[in-house]
Amino acid sequence: MIDVGQISKSFGRHAEIKAVAGISFQAADGAITGLLGPNGAGKTTLLRMLATLIVPDGGNASIDGMDIVRDRAEVRRRVGVLSDARGLYVRLTARENVRYYGRLHGMRDQALEARVERLLHELGIGDLADRRTQGFSQGERMKVAIARALVHDPQVMLLDEPTNGLDIMSTRNLRELLRAMRAAGKCILFSSHVMQEVSALCDTIVIIGHGRVVAQGTGPELMSLAGEASLEDAFVRLLGSGEGLAA
Amino acid sequence: MSTPMSGGALSRIGAIVAKEITDTFRDRRAMLVTVITSVVAGPIFLALILNMSANQAEKARTLKLPVVGAAYAPALIAFLERQQVTIETAADDYENRIQAGDMDVVLRIEPDFESAVKSGSAVKVKLIYDRSRDRARPAIEQTESLLNGYGRLWGTQRLLLRGIAPQVARPLTVESIDLATPQQSGSLVLFLVAYYGLFAAVMGGMAGAIDTTAGERERGSLEPLLVTPITTFELATGKWLAIALFNALVVALTLAGFYLTLRFAPLPAIGIPFLFGFTELVRFLLVLLPLIALMPAILVYVGMRGRSLKEAQANISVLLFLLSMVPVIQIFSQRKEPAWAAWVPVSSQYAMLNRALRGDAIPVLEWLQSAAAPALLTVLALVAAARLLNRVAARAPS
Repeated sequence: MIDVGQISKSFGRHAEIKAVAGISFQAADGAITGLLGPNGAGKTTLLRMLATLIVPDGGNASIDGMDIVRDRAEVRRRVGVLSDARGLYVRLTARENVRYYGRLHGMRDQALEARVERLLHELGIGDLADRRTQGFSQGERMKVAIARALVHDPQVMLLDEPTNGLDIMSTRNLRELLRAMRAAGKCILFSSHVMQEVSALCDTIVIIGHGRVVAQGTGPELMSLAGEASLEDAFVRLLGSGEGLAA
Repeated sequence: MSTPMSGGALSRIGAIVAKEITDTFRDRRAMLVTVITSVVAGPIFLALILNMSANQAEKARTLKLPVVGAAYAPALIAFLERQQVTIETAADDYENRIQAGDMDVVLRIEPDFESAVKSGSAVKVKLIYDRSRDRARPAIEQTESLLNGYGRLWGTQRLLLRGIAPQVARPLTVESIDLATPQQSGSLVLFLVAYYGLFAAVMGGMAGAIDTTAGERERGSLEPLLVTPITTFELATGKWLAIALFNALVVALTLAGFYLTLRFAPLPAIGIPFLFGFTELVRFLLVLLPLIALMPAILVYVGMRGRSLKEAQANISVLLFLLSMVPVIQIFSQRKEPAWAAWVPVSSQYAMLNRALRGDAIPVLEWLQSAAAPALLTVLALVAAARLLNRVAARAPS
């Protein structure tokens, strides 16, 4: 699970860009938690801090009890990341791409090979395993990226705008995958600016605006909080405007 | 904060090396560029030079000399023919032909040759050529030498006829002692082998390195990497090692190319004894080792700085161009290198390569001096690259 306490981060020479200005929330295991907010709201910065790529200026966060600053190595072991930039190596096969990450996580030999094979198979790209990722479709690339993120069997999945640029079929595929991971007890946190996505998938929603938490709760809770009959209207009401959000 | 080097670090570095080498070998464009510019170019160029030299030697031995007015000096012609020269009649437009490069040299004997001889005055013959034509030089020089020889012979005869010992007219003899061993001649060949060996060490890793470094950033594959247990120093080291191994392979292939070219070239004809044997090959590799380690580290740093492939390519090209100019500058400077030059990378390697080609052994101390700066710079470059990657990871999202 993820526990975030008043975390903050600023950029710029005089820390003038307050990307994250004190965010607190929790993401439970066996649940999908969504970060909804317009672009520039601080979602990506938040996710990167949780992924231990950036060190926060203030506050703290822990993943499965491990502090993201003090226990960086432990956190990385427990976290799988799917970010906007897929970054696959086009001259390597799907298998080789996933295997590379497995090796970096310290996995080896039979155990690694078996895991890679299983993952690619479960994701439905088993027959593409030994093809170079050069000509892969969006959906196929996404699946390789997911396999890569899951190779070390992390407890927590962080996804940054995962359906960006995906077609409908791939989006549906991804949703099924996330639901399957939830059923397996994993803790899933993903960010999006697409309202429908968040409302379709998430158990808990954290609405983020200007680096702060605007509201959080389940869908029904947010609707009653905003006094709106639809989630979409609730989002717009709570954020103050629909700007930067997509249906 | 970085994890100390451990078994885990080594196996991660090993994983990076394996992946980068596989990736580079599958990069057809990079492989093609590398093979053409580094591996094949040197030996091919060498083969062409050797072929040209051999042809020139051939031409020098069987000199064909076009003559105008051969009938006016039968004794001179007879002398030349005894010296294995083939006398031909020159065409009327010989001046045009010489300027066009179709003829090398023409000997012109005037009708007043006989009368000048009889009257005991100085006899002139004309030698017409274009000395700026490289190809014609052997013929020109040989003809001049033969004619001067004839003149001396004739002069000696005249003196003897008058009862004067020839030494009276030539009181000073100059005896030339050439200290150049057989290996020291053929200086163009020497330069070529040293330069291209150096070139392979400096440029060999470049084509593959650009994608390995800047390509990672451009493709956005850097971030997911940094979420694994890997540290930026391990990442920089792994990439460095992969590029260095590739570089070493390129150098080895280039030197093997030289070895084979010189082995099967018609050497005895141009008088260069076999000067690139197995010993020289090994010496070359040892001399170039510090550069093979240093260049990839620089490539990693410069490449990782570039935000895109194009930027990295531009930066790297400029850097490598400057480096490859160093030996050229050394050639033109003409002075003996100062003692501190032994510490300067590229320059010191070039000097030692030339020594190896001359058949000298490389003193261990000098090799250590040449390796010191590269070793230090390599570590600095890798540390700098690691810190750069940390900054890249922590930058604000765009």
